[in-house]
Amino acid sequence: MSTFTIGEVKKTFSNGEIEEEVLKGVNLSLKEGEITALVGPSGSGKSTILTIAAGLQKASGGEILFEGKDMTKMSQEEIRHIRATDFGFVFQSSHLVPFLTVEEQLELMLDVSETKISKKEQTTAIADILKLVDMEHRKDAYPSSLSGGERQRVAIARAIIHRPKILFADEPTASLDTKRSKSVMELLQELTRTLNLTTLMVTHDEEMLPYADRIITMRDGYIVE
Amino acid sequence: MKIAWKEMKKSKAKFLILGSIIFLVSFLTFIISGLANGLSQDNAALIKDLPQGQFYLDKDADSTYNLSKIDAEVQKQVLIDRPDATAFSVQMGFVNDSEDKQHSVAFVASTGSQLFENVREGEIVLDSTLKDEGIKVGDVLTNNQFSGEFVVKGFVDQQKYSHAPVAFIDMTNYQEIYRVMEMQTIFIPGKDTPTLSALDSFSNKEFLNAIPSYSAEQMSLNMIVWFLVMISGMLFAIFFYMMNVQKIGLYGILKAIGMKTMSLFKMIWYQMLVITAISLVLSIALSQAFSFIAPDGMPFHLTMNTVLMLSAVFMVVGFIGATISGFQVKRIEPLQAIQQGEM
Repeated sequence: MSTFTIGEVKKTFSNGEIEEEVLKGVNLSLKEGEITALVGPSGSGKSTILTIAAGLQKASGGEILFEGKDMTKMSQEEIRHIRATDFGFVFQSSHLVPFLTVEEQLELMLDVSETKISKKEQTTAIADILKLVDMEHRKDAYPSSLSGGERQRVAIARAIIHRPKILFADEPTASLDTKRSKSVMELLQELTRTLNLTTLMVTHDEEMLPYADRIITMRDGYIVE
Repeated sequence: MKIAWKEMKKSKAKFLILGSIIFLVSFLTFIISGLANGLSQDNAALIKDLPQGQFYLDKDADSTYNLSKIDAEVQKQVLIDRPDATAFSVQMGFVNDSEDKQHSVAFVASTGSQLFENVREGEIVLDSTLKDEGIKVGDVLTNNQFSGEFVVKGFVDQQKYSHAPVAFIDMTNYQEIYRVMEMQTIFIPGKDTPTLSALDSFSNKEFLNAIPSYSAEQMSLNMIVWFLVMISGMLFAIFFYMMNVQKIGLYGILKAIGMKTMSLFKMIWYQMLVITAISLVLSIALSQAFSFIAPDGMPFHLTMNTVLMLSAVFMVVGFIGATISGFQVKRIEPLQAIQQGEM
């Protein structure tokens, strides 16, 4: 079942008098329990469509339907609420909060998503997620003392701790070596299946494509395949 | 506001530097303000320390204290009608000690009143700063306009006028020194004060301005203090603004994961409040300590009212600076903020 549909989404960037159309009408449907990979050369618009879909920037045209509601017509507060409760994000360079420990990063996400659970349940949920991403032994560590792979694992844990419906991952393995990249992708694949997530991932690494259920190729602001 | 506190704990050096700047700037403002107030006290403590009431000057004096001469009949009638009233005069002069060393003083003579020192003929009560010049109780002082001698009966604290120590003398002695029979002003304490047709009346504040040089000096000092407050305030605002603009990438991440804009504002305000409060408490404590260790000759007077008022101004300005940066965080899209933070 599709819970997320993008229809004829366009994006134009203005730089003074110069206007550049990065997305020229993109259509896309995401399915539960599947990883959809967006691939394409640099400048094809794959990261732009991901960030627009995730509500991190506005589209210039088109519609984005999440559970039947058009996000392009929503207020900033409504989009923020969806980001906090229904979406999870994994960025290219993890973007953890530098002054919080691994455990505190997850506590923060539970606070932000206003997940109504007791302190005890929160502790259990954090322990479970850390076990899932194999990071329970580093729960008191700060991001600066973690390796790149560990940081991405924590970023994934943060992205799913509040049980989102859709997980957006923008080149989640870009800063990792092959071994760690595979480990992160195996984790994403497992979480998507077990938690029945809808995952949209941007990657330029062909070795990561076998982990995706669907592969969509973009070029010059269009979906070509 | 756990996240705000955790950031402060983890990034101690950054917040310590910001706090030090606020501490130093506010401490400087308090000290300059204390010195300005000290000069003000040095100029007119005698008048400023009087209770609220009305001062009356001769109408012909054109609101200038030095030119005022209260008609003896008017004075007599006022003192009969209002037993709490007092007529007094202040004139600059000097006394010579036993070694013929001259000491500049402001002679004060008044009709009997609890508001001024009551001295008998031939007696003198001095401001305690003259003790530092070697004058002791029992010393005999002279004045070349006075046929007799003054015996020092005691000292009083904080009685200055026109930057000179006050010397309380008897009215008759005063009249002999200055060859004048009339007093310069009448003071009636309290709120229920009459309008006297023959005299102009002044509130305490208005009367201070009738003292030659007082208002000019105070205007200059107040200008210095308020310029300093304005510049300090702007520095506060700029530092809070810069600190938050530097953290735009962090705010972008927090916005991206769905943190409410109001929570970001609260985080910004909390940090501003904690840093400013700690810095101000330290500078208040140190500036109060300074009043105890300031050299004796240095006029320094810093009241808690002044300190609290300036602190409130700093708090408000810091809040404005922090809020302006908050609006920038509010406006920016999460992705744009993250990208700016990476630059």
